[in-house]
Amino acid sequence: MQKLLSIALKDLKVAFRDRAGLILMLLAPMALIIGMGVISGRFSSSGSGAGISDIPIVIVNQDEGQLGQALVDVFYSPDLVDLIAPITTTVVETARQQVSDNTATAAVIIPAGFTASIIPETALTATSFQTPTVISIELQTNPTRATSAEVVRSIILEFLARVETNQVGGQVTFEQLLTQKLVRPADIPALARDFGTRMDAGANASASTTITIEHMTNNDAPPAPFDVLALLAPGMALLFLMYTVTRGGAQLLAERDAGTLGRMLISPASSAQILGGKVAGIFLTALAQVVILIVVSTLLFNLHWGDWRGLILLLPAVAAAATGWGFLIASFVKTPQQAGSIGAAVMLLFGILGGSFGTNVPITGFLDTLSKITPNAWGIQGFTALGNGGNVTQIMPNLLALCIIAMVTFGMASLLFRRGNLIKK
Amino acid sequence: MRKIIAIAWKDALINFASPSSLLFFFVLPVVFTFIIGGGFGGATASQDTRAKLLVVDQAGTASSQQLIDLLGQSTALSIEPMPWAEANATFDADDAPALLIIPAGFNSTAMISGTAQLQLKQQPNNLDAVLIERTLNTTASQITSAIAAAQTAVAEAERIRPFTSPAERQAYFDAALKHTTQLLAQAPSRLNVTKPSQIAPDFNPAAQASAGQLITWVFIPLLGISAMFAYERRNGTLRRVLTTPASRAQLLLGTIFGQFVTALVQMGLLIGFGAVVMRLNWGQSPLALIVLLSSFALAGVSLGTMLGTFVRSEGQANGLSILLGQVMALLGGCWYPLELFPAPVRTVVQVLPTTWAMQGLSNVLQLGAELPAVLPNIAVLLGFAAVFFVIGVARFRFE
Repeated sequence: MQKLLSIALKDLKVAFRDRAGLILMLLAPMALIIGMGVISGRFSSSGSGAGISDIPIVIVNQDEGQLGQALVDVFYSPDLVDLIAPITTTVVETARQQVSDNTATAAVIIPAGFTASIIPETALTATSFQTPTVISIELQTNPTRATSAEVVRSIILEFLARVETNQVGGQVTFEQLLTQKLVRPADIPALARDFGTRMDAGANASASTTITIEHMTNNDAPPAPFDVLALLAPGMALLFLMYTVTRGGAQLLAERDAGTLGRMLISPASSAQILGGKVAGIFLTALAQVVILIVVSTLLFNLHWGDWRGLILLLPAVAAAATGWGFLIASFVKTPQQAGSIGAAVMLLFGILGGSFGTNVPITGFLDTLSKITPNAWGIQGFTALGNGGNVTQIMPNLLALCIIAMVTFGMASLLFRRGNLIKK
Repeated sequence: MRKIIAIAWKDALINFASPSSLLFFFVLPVVFTFIIGGGFGGATASQDTRAKLLVVDQAGTASSQQLIDLLGQSTALSIEPMPWAEANATFDADDAPALLIIPAGFNSTAMISGTAQLQLKQQPNNLDAVLIERTLNTTASQITSAIAAAQTAVAEAERIRPFTSPAERQAYFDAALKHTTQLLAQAPSRLNVTKPSQIAPDFNPAAQASAGQLITWVFIPLLGISAMFAYERRNGTLRRVLTTPASRAQLLLGTIFGQFVTALVQMGLLIGFGAVVMRLNWGQSPLALIVLLSSFALAGVSLGTMLGTFVRSEGQANGLSILLGQVMALLGGCWYPLELFPAPVRTVVQVLPTTWAMQGLSNVLQLGAELPAVLPNIAVLLGFAAVFFVIGVARFRFE
């Protein structure tokens, strides 16, 4: 055991003295975690985690009535000052061109007669409520900015819903009065003007209703604010963990080719001790890498990784499963170069299948099933559960799956990597 | 010229000496593009990718049913009504991002008195749960608006003649609410969403994936030219070349030309895959596309040349190429659209060649932009190429 540990600790030291290796082991994951924090607005003053802001839109208001101006006012309102960056023009073609040139997310074109199509002058004198011709607002959207275009669309829809509700509310009010014979048709115009004046003055404020939404999590605790880094950091840690273990496998083969493994066989250490020491070295390096990433991200970004008892169990399980894969790759390739290439390919494939590249990658059906062979999928799920307040019991399936991956991969690799493989033929 | 081609050919032979090179040249880029673009079943497939909302209706009232119906009209949500025990078990098993409980007593009277309450259980740090919460807020607001309109009708009637009994008042309110709900349901669409031109497609996640992955996977090997310089310096081949009739300029140009042509071939293959397999319209503006891609390749290879003069070993060069390539692709909008970035970040990332390349490619692929429209992108990329190349040549050493 002492010999095995000596070999493992020596390899651990060697791994952390290699500056080039440290770039990908520690620098790259930290750089990508910071990059994702930057693009998602995690480090912005609001810290909301929602990056969308200053959506450039061009407004053309050709409507002569109050509703067109009301919509323009919505886009210029203090509530939307951070979200929307509107400009106004009178030329429709200019607005369209800005969308075509990809300098604007959307062009909002309010056509002439829009207000009149909803609040016709004739309605004040009519005894029945005719539906006027519908005149629609045009929203020209930029397909390269689909998300922010959807935000603009939802703002207009919300405005239209309010307008529609007010219009319908007025219509229902007077239709009910007529139906119940509370007023005569001839009284409607005067009543409508009075009603309109009072509504403008906020007389319906007393009629406001509310639905309270009580928010809870699965622990019945109040939900914490959304944190994009907490979502992405475990993925990055797992992605580059796979780099470390496949690099460890490649170095094992490099030592075999250089003859150092063969030379070690003449020492009092057995081949099992040598191989075990080498694999334990990869395991310790992987474990140290993830621990360092967790500690640094906690100190720098105040990331919450959750229950330390769960972490103590999950960290070695993840490192063991990843090391198993690294050892397995090393056992069936012939050269260190092959191990490096195939290892890097496996690292990237496991990364995308296991969720290291974020939640917007559609992993469903067959791919979801395939992802179960990756330490990334089980590890990320476990870290996320702990970060969200989970405990050891909740990550038991993950621990079990990672242990099974480790056992199966170590077992297969041991069969393939026989004693003879310690010496280059 | 023959010497330059000979050096470029030699580099190509070194690059493709191992079959595993093809993994990174074509296989992995294609797999990534296909997966991220939804080729295996994502947003573009028939599979239901809507956010799943479990609903437990303990009220069983007209209002609760109206809420469920309105939520069901959302294109982003999949509503699954079920008993409390089943819903709770499903939520606890993390099989749904959110669980909505409509408690007993949820009706219009409670809404009017302000005591109506809903309980929303959300999985923490879950984007779908955030989406569900926003949709629920909007839907609740819709319901209360209709009730407010009916209340207004009651108030107006009461101004003219007081009701004789609470029952009469309630009947008037119910009739008004029913009428309001009917009219709102029949309301015409007053928003017409259009796109810039007939050739511009609707948003397609595959288009973002194809352009973004192309830049990512081509950019990293272009930076990898730094490893080639480090390799040749270590093996002394650069010095040996000095004994041949090839000049220093020919050596540099040959190496750069080889990488440049390799990048063009790789981009051609990836575009072909996008066009044939993913049915993306890459051929709208061929001239703009060719000039843009060539400018991007020149900027990438020049940056690699410059990087090669700063690194000491192949290992360092490989690590830095992957690190810089991934980070610059991420910040350049290749993984996530730039529109999602905060405004100051969108400004700062204009210093990266990947940003200009990605914007140019998106304009060509998704907006059908012609050459004049992407000339600013091309000019900036060529500017990057010139600056990186001058620095690289000035710092270049044979040993």
